[in-house]
Amino acid sequence: MKKQKKADLLQGTLELLVLRLLRSGSLNGWDIMQRIQIVSGEVLSVTPGALYPALHRLEERGLVSAVWGVSENNRQAKFYELTAAGRKQLEAERATWERFTGAVAAILRDA
Amino acid sequence: MLGRLKRRLRALLHKRAMERELDEELRYHLEREIERNLADGMNSEEARFAALRSFGGVEQAKEQCREARGVRLIEDLWKDLRYGARMLLKQPGFTLVAVVTLALGIGVNTAIFSVVNGVLLKSLPFPEPERLVVLSETSKDVPDMSVAYPNYLDWRAQQTVFENMAARMPAGGVLTGDGEAERITGRWVTASFFPTLGVHPQVGRFFTDEEDRPGAERVIVLNNGLWQRLFGGDPQVIGRVLQYNSESWTIIGVMPAAFDFYGQNNLNNDFFIPLNRLSDQEYMLDRSSHPIEVTARLRPGVRLEQGSTELRAIAARLSGQFPESNSGNGVNLRLLLDDYVGDVRPALLMLTVAVALVLLIACANIANLLLARAAARQREIALRMALGAGRWRIVRQLLTESVLLAIAGGTLGLLLGAWGVSLLVKLDPEGLPRVENISLDGRALGFTLLVTLLTGIVFGLVPALATSKANLNDALKEGSLRSSGGASGWRLRATLVVGQVALSLMLLVGSGLLVKSFWQLMQVDPGFDAQGVLTLRLRLPDAKYREAAQTTAFLKEVSRRVEALPGVQGVSVTTGFPFGRAGENGYWVEGDPEPRRPGDWAVANTQSVDENYHKSLGITLLNGRYFAARDTADSPQVAIVDDEFVGRHFPNSSPGDVLGKRLRFGGEGEPWREIVGVVRHVRQNNLDEESHPGIYRPWTQINPKSVADFTRAMDLVVKTSGKPVNLVAPIRREVQAVDKNQPLGNVRTLEDLMARSIAPRRFSLLLLGVFAGIALLLGAVGLYGVLSYVVTQRTREIGIRIALGARTRDVLNLVIKYGMTMALTGVAVGLVAAFALTRLMQSLLFEVSATDPLTFVLIALLLLAVALLACYLPARRAAKVDPLIALRHE
Repeated sequence: MKKQKKADLLQGTLELLVLRLLRSGSLNGWDIMQRIQIVSGEVLSVTPGALYPALHRLEERGLVSAVWGVSENNRQAKFYELTAAGRKQLEAERATWERFTGAVAAILRDA
Repeated sequence: MLGRLKRRLRALLHKRAMERELDEELRYHLEREIERNLADGMNSEEARFAALRSFGGVEQAKEQCREARGVRLIEDLWKDLRYGARMLLKQPGFTLVAVVTLALGIGVNTAIFSVVNGVLLKSLPFPEPERLVVLSETSKDVPDMSVAYPNYLDWRAQQTVFENMAARMPAGGVLTGDGEAERITGRWVTASFFPTLGVHPQVGRFFTDEEDRPGAERVIVLNNGLWQRLFGGDPQVIGRVLQYNSESWTIIGVMPAAFDFYGQNNLNNDFFIPLNRLSDQEYMLDRSSHPIEVTARLRPGVRLEQGSTELRAIAARLSGQFPESNSGNGVNLRLLLDDYVGDVRPALLMLTVAVALVLLIACANIANLLLARAAARQREIALRMALGAGRWRIVRQLLTESVLLAIAGGTLGLLLGAWGVSLLVKLDPEGLPRVENISLDGRALGFTLLVTLLTGIVFGLVPALATSKANLNDALKEGSLRSSGGASGWRLRATLVVGQVALSLMLLVGSGLLVKSFWQLMQVDPGFDAQGVLTLRLRLPDAKYREAAQTTAFLKEVSRRVEALPGVQGVSVTTGFPFGRAGENGYWVEGDPEPRRPGDWAVANTQSVDENYHKSLGITLLNGRYFAARDTADSPQVAIVDDEFVGRHFPNSSPGDVLGKRLRFGGEGEPWREIVGVVRHVRQNNLDEESHPGIYRPWTQINPKSVADFTRAMDLVVKTSGKPVNLVAPIRREVQAVDKNQPLGNVRTLEDLMARSIAPRRFSLLLLGVFAGIALLLGAVGLYGVLSYVVTQRTREIGIRIALGARTRDVLNLVIKYGMTMALTGVAVGLVAAFALTRLMQSLLFEVSATDPLTFVLIALLLLAVALLACYLPARRAAKVDPLIALRHE
């Protein structure tokens, strides 16, 4: 039960990160995982057990779409790309997130 | 939106392809991971292992991906249904018990709901029936009586709340014509009767106000039944003439076939004739005579209470205006539907509660079975959870199983209910109105479906929650030790059993109280001997029998001829008899203050009888004499009273002292009568109702002004030595030998009439008895089931005890004590609940308190005895446990 709750907390953030990473082009699950690690300077890491269900949820909600394509190592892989709705959702969530972190940062700095 | 639908459809239809894609996607990920590990210098074995470890649970991830797609619910449901069906079929014993239990519970609910629906809920077959009301008069002593015609006219003139008002009165007489004379009954109704109810003729028209007054041409409207019977439904019947009571009535219209006022099978249902024709008759002009019934339609938007308020004000004005007749009189309004069903509402509500309790007991039973089964399924469920199924998922699966079970039970229950309904309708219980409305209609089907689904959730939810709560590790461990679900599981099961016992007890106490009421009723002495008594009505047409001399001659001749028939022990001609027609009259005992207002008169049941009446009915003479042939119109006026009369007016005298005292009836020109005899009191209408004192007079001494009216409608009471029905044909022959146009009406045996008067009680007693029996059975089975399970689970422990020297008795005691603790707790809870609940059925009881201690104690003992039996069987099995086998049990 408890584990579930923690995942719920992370879910929104993970989805936001995925949407942001897909803005610059289509990626497969493996790529997304690597990028989160690299871009965050190894601070954030995500397990496949959390990532893939998140991808499927986003697809289900119509925020990303998936196509099968050829990967860099010449194999069939499932690539995700942002849909128009996904783009809109990203902007909205990003604004929310920035307001939120800005507020937290302000309190941490000045209070 | 459309895209999502398409994806879902695709997911459903191409499940395989979707699964393959998911596999593929995750495999790609793993391979990339392995590649990287290899690149980092691991060997292939290490690389694979590290990749899998970093991935986490592959199956869980898959499950969550599937969950992320919306199709899960539908897909799971289908899977759960198939799985559930497999599980149920794998355990046919359990399934059979559960389905039969449910079918009983749901079946009785379906049947009783159909009755409640047909009788109480379905609206009456008139437009906007909720605006139809019934008006009756009230007096100081009588809460509810028919209406005086002048009062009706004043109400009608002064009121503003009704759209329309109508009066009616029973009519009956002889139809003569081509065939044999026939007795028909109908209604005198005002022209406003039809628009008030909102009916339209099937053929022809209804009568107008012009035709509804004294001296107008005689017109008649036929009911569909009579029209079909006499004319085969011929529409050309309009304008034809009927010979009714030796007068010519022109047929002007036919009621619609569906017309149903107070039940199609009711009497007075053959025809309608204009009531206001009688408006110049003396008894119609008299405010102290109450011959008519009044129905009215409220104006749209006017509430019943508003109507009541206004009518009460009018009645109060009339009381002031006509104190002689109306002082203390009021008016009572109620909805037509309430008037239809008034009496049966409490009985139906009681039965509704009873079947709800039966269903609850059935639910508890099955919940317990499921709990026991769930304990055995701990491992399977733990395994499923280990493989990634969430708790909600498990609950859903278990609930699907129980709803599936409920649907099977509900289907069988529906059949059972349909059978019950047709049985009930066929029984056509006396006193149950609107029986023809009772059917298993759409509403009843919907109700059954709802109850079925609810039932499935109610009995399934607790076990499902309890089972899925189980800690994974513990369950797997416990399962291996064959343990039984822990202490909380036991408490739950014991609670269910206690609840079942308590509910059964409540039902049993309820039916016990009804049984005792019925027993008390059977002990009531009616005051007469109904055995072998045949009764029938002779209604002589006014036109042919104008003079008292004619009616008297006819009655004497009929009486003489019938008396001579073989098998006849006595014949009496009378204006009425107990359980048949009752007459009420005000009277005044000499020496008491003179009555000045209607409320001052004492009320008696009065019959005008001949000299054979008391002997024929076996009414015991306590003192003085019966009437005799010498009591004629010209001899001294006499009366016979009963011991109830003596007790009321001369409480300190013996019956003998009353002889020679005088009394007179209310009404102009009534003479003083000398009391010449005292007889036993007789119950008039019902065994369970105290009746007024009885006063008899010889019908030869009825006021000469009205003797002809009285004697045109007399009852013949025939005491026979054999089967009364065998005499119907000979009596008809004798009657028609005197007047060939004279039919016999209302042919009944007195025993039959008495049986009818208690039929409603017998009916609710029978039903509640059946329900209580089912409850007892289910309760006992529940107790037995749980104890059997305990014994099985504790075989090892019992074996050890026996091995350590416990005797058979010790083991029996152990198990029985455990079971009886539950039973006793249940009985205690049930007694308290029954104590609170049976008050609600007080109106259904007779000479029994709703908290009758004897019934409570006896029923508790009965239930405990059954519980003991239910405990004994598993206990004996426990006592026979072979310690060697028991210890090897694991």
